Amino acid sequence: MARSGKGRTGGRGRERTTLGKGSRRASGDTLSPTVRPAQKPSPQTRELRKLLEGIGTPRPSPFQPDQFQLDALAALEFEDVLVTAPTGSGKTWIAREEIRRLLAAGKRAWYTTPLKALTNSKFQEFSAEFGDGQVGILTGDRKENSSAPLIVGTTEIYRNQLFDSLRGGSDVQTDLVVLDEAHYLADEDRGYVWEEAIILTPPRIRLLLLSATIGNAQEFAAWIEDVRGVRCGVVTRPGARPVPLRAAMLLPDKRLIPLLGENGKINSELNALAERDRAQREERVSRFGRRARRRFYE
Amino acid sequence: MKLRMPELPPATLLATLDSYNLLPAIVFLPTRRRCDQAASEAAMVRRDSGDQKREQRRDLMRSFVEQFPEIRGHRHWDTIIRGGVASHHAGHIPAWKLVIENLMSAGLLDAIFATATVAAGVDFPARSVVLTVADSRTGQGWRPLTASELQQMTGRAGRRGRDNVGFVVVAPGLHQDPERIADLLKAPPDPLVSQFRATYTTLLNLLDAYGNFAQVRAIAEKSFAHREAAVHISTLEKNAREMEQNIQTKLRDAGCDLRLSTIKGFERLLSARTQLQQSKPQTRSEVLHRWLDEVVQVGRVVGIGRTGRRLVLITDKREGNVRGIREDGRSASFALERIGRVYAPVYRLKEEFIEEAFEEIRRRGRELVIPEPRLRDARSEDVGAIEIFDSAIEKILPSALAAEEKLRCNQALWSVLADADELHKTERRIDQLREEVWEPFHQRVRVLASFGYLEFEAEKVTERGRWLADLHIDRPLLVGEALESGLFNSIDFQRMGAVVAALTADEDRDYGELELDDGVVNALAMFEEIGFKVSTEEWKFNIEPAPELNFSAAGAAYSWAGGMEWTTLVHETRAEEGDLFRMLSRTGEALLQIAGVRKVHPRAAQTAAVAADAILREPVR
Repeated sequence: MARSGKGRTGGRGRERTTLGKGSRRASGDTLSPTVRPAQKPSPQTRELRKLLEGIGTPRPSPFQPDQFQLDALAALEFEDVLVTAPTGSGKTWIAREEIRRLLAAGKRAWYTTPLKALTNSKFQEFSAEFGDGQVGILTGDRKENSSAPLIVGTTEIYRNQLFDSLRGGSDVQTDLVVLDEAHYLADEDRGYVWEEAIILTPPRIRLLLLSATIGNAQEFAAWIEDVRGVRCGVVTRPGARPVPLRAAMLLPDKRLIPLLGENGKINSELNALAERDRAQREERVSRFGRRARRRFYE
Repeated sequence: MKLRMPELPPATLLATLDSYNLLPAIVFLPTRRRCDQAASEAAMVRRDSGDQKREQRRDLMRSFVEQFPEIRGHRHWDTIIRGGVASHHAGHIPAWKLVIENLMSAGLLDAIFATATVAAGVDFPARSVVLTVADSRTGQGWRPLTASELQQMTGRAGRRGRDNVGFVVVAPGLHQDPERIADLLKAPPDPLVSQFRATYTTLLNLLDAYGNFAQVRAIAEKSFAHREAAVHISTLEKNAREMEQNIQTKLRDAGCDLRLSTIKGFERLLSARTQLQQSKPQTRSEVLHRWLDEVVQVGRVVGIGRTGRRLVLITDKREGNVRGIREDGRSASFALERIGRVYAPVYRLKEEFIEEAFEEIRRRGRELVIPEPRLRDARSEDVGAIEIFDSAIEKILPSALAAEEKLRCNQALWSVLADADELHKTERRIDQLREEVWEPFHQRVRVLASFGYLEFEAEKVTERGRWLADLHIDRPLLVGEALESGLFNSIDFQRMGAVVAALTADEDRDYGELELDDGVVNALAMFEEIGFKVSTEEWKFNIEPAPELNFSAAGAAYSWAGGMEWTTLVHETRAEEGDLFRMLSRTGEALLQIAGVRKVHPRAAQTAAVAADAILREPVR
């Protein structure tokens, strides 16, 4: 275990503060009116109370775009943008607002996703948002309204359109290309298609890449900039998660304890448990022999 | 930290989570089967706990049935309605997964038991995610979770606007490792790693678009995978430009107007010559031995010892030993190395001439002695090859130069030699780096050329290649060859569906063992034959063999294209609905691609269109 921690000491320290911040924020005053005490377990230890503090539903509040969403929209005015944020933190909102702006100005957009299911659901979502006539869909087996100003489709189909236009067909008719789930570029089987799409998209077309959090966003953006000759900005959601995350460990006796201790290291109670577990195994080995142990566990 | 703890039964787990107010939860389990079992077990226990959401669930699901009739009577229907829990994994058809996602986001489910595949793609969060193992199961067995995988999972904890806090709960399990999970939670996200590769389709499309390999290559060199190399290359290129500048400045300062190509030529000649000299004698004794071996001949007079005063006329020479006649007429035998001087004239070995020979050497020895080689000379001037280099090097300087200028330039040339050598090495490294990304494309160029889809010399795509470029399908070359061979003209739509399914299905997935008629078996055998031909050619050019055909998929697709009911198909193949769905849907897409080549292969295209219709019917769409 010492070995696993060693290589990433730097990242460890950085991430620890993020986790810590999240829990502190959640336990802050602003949330206290909605705090609902956990129902049954008693007596609650101080440790458990702290772990579960703030659990529950926030008071409904009118939608307010986050700063990173506004930043991304502003950046799109003059450069390509790579947005990295976890699922569910509002990346699609950025794309939707930009598409809304373009459609209103009589321009066009292409929205690509890696999965047919995702394409279908975006098609529904955008049709409801912008009107049926405004949206078309293109997948391997579905082709509807293909001349609409907004096209939703798989990345493969978009890449194929790029090939066609390079081979003397008409230009790809769009002013913006959104690559949703852009981290699919690292997919073993299909990732190369994303690279080809990025490389072959004419520089006059604006690129908006929506990606999960990745370790090398700056390098990725620098590459896009190099191959397209267009500036590519990186917008990352600060604090990483839209809803703070806490880690807990559930024990066989149904007790819930924090996974991490106050010092950010693994909860010392777990160390004790692991030690006991190991000792028991040793004892069983000494009593029944190694072969018996193997039968027990493997 | 291994921590082996007995797993909590699913219902107990949920009740415990509920006691801490941690529901709804997504419980990650390693296999599809475990997900289904856990959902059923939990539902069993929970069915009698009167749940006011039961009616709402029923209503929502019924509303879906109108749109997706295939979910009617699903085997997990009751589990969901009465238990308020569901399983969600790739074994289910998309419509069913959609129902579950909708139930979840409507807040009508307490828990979903899911495999890690759910983590990607569609967004459906919960208050908590529960981990029962710290490993992930792949086709090849178990391996530790990666930071990114865990991040995808925990990304589902905490619903925006509905939760103040999200939880990741490490639950008891037989192979649990809380410390590893804690480490992964703290780990920075994994970097995006390029998976760029060469494909026939990309190659044909780009070559057809640009009409030369250089531009196709330029595109390949833009890949993210190549970026590191590209960064390296651009640094090297910058260095190379600086070296060139440097060389030119030095030459200009010497008042010598030589072109860079001249310097490069000079350096290359010199380094080639050096290469040659590596095999040449390096020490004085080596040099001497070679020289003696060459010049000591029968009939020549040599002087023995350092002073060389004792003369001997050589009569015999073999393997480093010589024999001869001394001035006093006695014979002598000694090693080659003892010879100190060699005289140029060669005398006839006749009694009457011997005295005359010694006489002449005594008289005119000084002028007749062959000069001993110096080490320096031996290194720069020896056999013919090196002389050729020398004369080429000599001619490097423009002949019009005045003697004085020539001398100056010669000196300048030598002074930049080290720079030119460095420049040459840098340029070679650049070429090597560029070769790495192009190699796999080059292999495919050769294969496509040998099947006539492109012309190698002319750097252009043939008519054949043009339609193959449009065929967006797995293993396009195999399908192209099958079309060209006429195989697809001779079979009906059902068999074509079967053949294409065998091609597009995952290699090792089992879709049951439905019976194959002789026609299908023959078609598959012929298809395999063509595949073998293609693979053999690919093998020649170091391309890895392609996956094998999946005959079990062919059986399922054949029955489905022939009109079998969905429920019957699921029942008879015993395959999971989701797997069948995906396989058939991909088969349908591939058939639509083949249907697109109607201009060149009208008959096959027509059959493919019919097959696609037969396969892409409800619920496969």
